[in-house]
Amino acid sequence: MANEMIATNLDLQPGVCIKIVGDVPPDAKCFRVNLGKDEHNFALHFNPRFNACDDTNTIICNSKQEGSWGTEQRETNFPFLPGSRVEVCMTFEGNQFTVRLPDDSQISFPNRLNLETINFLQVGGDFKLKTVDFE
Amino acid sequence: MSSHARQLCSTWLQRLEPRTNKMELYHMELKKGMMLKLKGKINDDASWFAINLGSGPQDLALHFNPRFEENIIVCNSQNGGSWEKEHRDGHVCFKPGTEIKLTVTFEEDEFQVKLPDGHQVKFPNRRGQGHLPYCCVKGGISLTSFKVE
Repeated sequence: MANEMIATNLDLQPGVCIKIVGDVPPDAKCFRVNLGKDEHNFALHFNPRFNACDDTNTIICNSKQEGSWGTEQRETNFPFLPGSRVEVCMTFEGNQFTVRLPDDSQISFPNRLNLETINFLQVGGDFKLKTVDFE
Repeated sequence: MSSHARQLCSTWLQRLEPRTNKMELYHMELKKGMMLKLKGKINDDASWFAINLGSGPQDLALHFNPRFEENIIVCNSQNGGSWEKEHRDGHVCFKPGTEIKLTVTFEEDEFQVKLPDGHQVKFPNRRGQGHLPYCCVKGGISLTSFKVE
């Protein structure tokens, strides 16, 4: 069954690294990690799609402001495998986010909402959460 | 009320009320024999925090609730939204403004919460549940690490 984790009032400042570890089930379709202000405002929506929404092995990044999605950023590098343990580290650098993927490559996404602190974290979809660390 | 006055009012309220955090996890894989490890900083102005484990927000097998004003740790369970019989433990070996590490072990018939000085607070698994999919950590604590092992 899909995991759902929501943390609020986090007050994370620039420089913080959010490390998330979990297991992706063998039949995974997609999972997502949202960082932002609240459920309607995501500075970063990080959404690896194994096989979902007509996409295969693609990472979608986007932002959401007052409930409206921004322009998608698509990544073709897809270092995720169904049925494996996954670790991603997301660093909030103030003007952008960098996400370190399991193959040690990085992707960046601009802080379009110009948030100064991250108060909201959501992890959902086909991902059995094991660890969350704020470093 | 003007929007400026409203903003002033809400800023004032935020100052008066201690900051409370909340982390909720659904569909968690916490089964008998497993452990939950938490690290966090207790907020300077914290008067309490709580760790809840159960099958849902209204059905808690363990409610672990340190209260700093009363200097007591209250444990309880909740069945369909109704609280049951409280257990009280006076061993509060941590205080606001400090970093702490807590380990909750989910044994066959009880929960053992290991405090930073090694003291264990024990609470029975009253309904003998074998799988607890819900976890909530809330109140005056800022989590820095959460682990299910």
